[in-house]
Amino acid sequence: MRTIEIPIKYLIFVLGFLVSAKIAKAQQTTIVDSALLERVSALEQQIADQKPGESHFMVAGLATFGFVANTTTTTTGGISQKAKSNSFPDVDHFEFSPLFLWRHGSKFLLEFEPSFDGTSVGVNWADVSYFVAPGLILRAGYLVTPFGTYSKRLAAGWIDKLPTDPTGVADYPSTTDFGVEAEGGFPLGSMKWNYDVSLTNGLQLLPDGELQSAGAVDNNKNKTITGRLGLLPISNSSLEIGVSGMFGTVGDVNSPNENAKSQSYAADLNYVKLFNPVLINIKGQYNYTFVNNQNYINPANGAEYTFDNKTTSGFVQASIRPTGAGKAFVKNLELAFRYGKYVTPENSLWGQKSNIIDISLDYWITWRTVFKIGYQSDKSTSTAIENSGDVTKSESLFIQFAIQL
Amino acid sequence: MKAKPIKKIVIISILGSALMVSLALNGCKASQVISNKTGAQLWSENCQRCHNTPSPNSFSREQWETIGLHMQSRSLITDEERNKIVAFLKQ
Repeated sequence: MRTIEIPIKYLIFVLGFLVSAKIAKAQQTTIVDSALLERVSALEQQIADQKPGESHFMVAGLATFGFVANTTTTTTGGISQKAKSNSFPDVDHFEFSPLFLWRHGSKFLLEFEPSFDGTSVGVNWADVSYFVAPGLILRAGYLVTPFGTYSKRLAAGWIDKLPTDPTGVADYPSTTDFGVEAEGGFPLGSMKWNYDVSLTNGLQLLPDGELQSAGAVDNNKNKTITGRLGLLPISNSSLEIGVSGMFGTVGDVNSPNENAKSQSYAADLNYVKLFNPVLINIKGQYNYTFVNNQNYINPANGAEYTFDNKTTSGFVQASIRPTGAGKAFVKNLELAFRYGKYVTPENSLWGQKSNIIDISLDYWITWRTVFKIGYQSDKSTSTAIENSGDVTKSESLFIQFAIQL
Repeated sequence: MKAKPIKKIVIISILGSALMVSLALNGCKASQVISNKTGAQLWSENCQRCHNTPSPNSFSREQWETIGLHMQSRSLITDEERNKIVAFLKQ
């Protein structure tokens, strides 16, 4: 009998312990579940509060900063004068340009890029784009005209392999204007092609024969049409060739040059290919601008004069980067070379022939951050009406840092 | 006499436009090789035409959508290419 009572007590004790433990665990689980549910609920609320919507705003852009040391020798009538300068930096090689981008859904994009160049604040472009359909983008505002590719694609300091822009290509004829634009790209079997056409206020012919942008208020009733056709004939998109044209009346209305018209043509080439372990990058552009026969006024003495008003400019550029090198330092290096030519109208007030050579060693800190050490040699011979034959030789050392924001 | 170059330009422009419209409506189809390209492949081929290929981690998914539109308007890549590249960069 005694042997039966002990197990019952023991069993009651064990059962009591197990029930207590179970209750305690259940309470603990309930507490944990409750906290978890509260946390999930809070996260759900956070997600609901952060509903992205269809609009998006962001800031990108670029900044460049640098140092330039220059020696210029001017020879006039057999007598040479030398001048040296250095600055931190000069106005041609400093830029802070935040790019504001507003996207409305997947169809509209507003772009605004103000720019501080060290002396003033300007605007690089301010426009709105409507992505209508595959292969058709419409744009209106203050836009980059589709003449060549340098100004629209390659001019940013973090993209350009050299510290300077190619003379006479980056800013002539005027690269931005007020108007409308249509553009797009299409496949063509294993190739691709693209088009870009704009209708803008156009250029303005000044009384001395110079061309400049007409600006926001057109100087005549005629609009300027600019267009580019591009072809990428290789299936890996490594090669692109393009031709451009710009045509319009440039004379001021009711002026002696009212019927003046300009024609501009450009050809461009871009080839980028990896020949392991080296990435080869070749670019080039040639511009030609012509104004039909006109008489001009010399502002110095008010006398009438004339000249063959044609301007040519161009560059070829090559760079190599050992992207397949084993050491990170080596594969971040890039060596770039550029030859440029700029010929302004002979017997004009500003006529000259310039040959410019640039070489630069770049170090890519990141894919969009670069440090450049460059050298430029510029030899210009004047063909101007008043000081023809003068020679200016300029040598510059550039140290430049460029970053995409 | 001065009107002749303009006439030529107008004629060339019209013919060029007609060719473009014709190509757009009838001939602008990508080959199978092109259609089969991945976003990563298109990213490596097209971005480096102008600048170094960007790291996908450089921007958020929302930002890549916006940058995709901006870049398309500069490089004039096709819509299919933009969609594939942006999808790759958003991963």
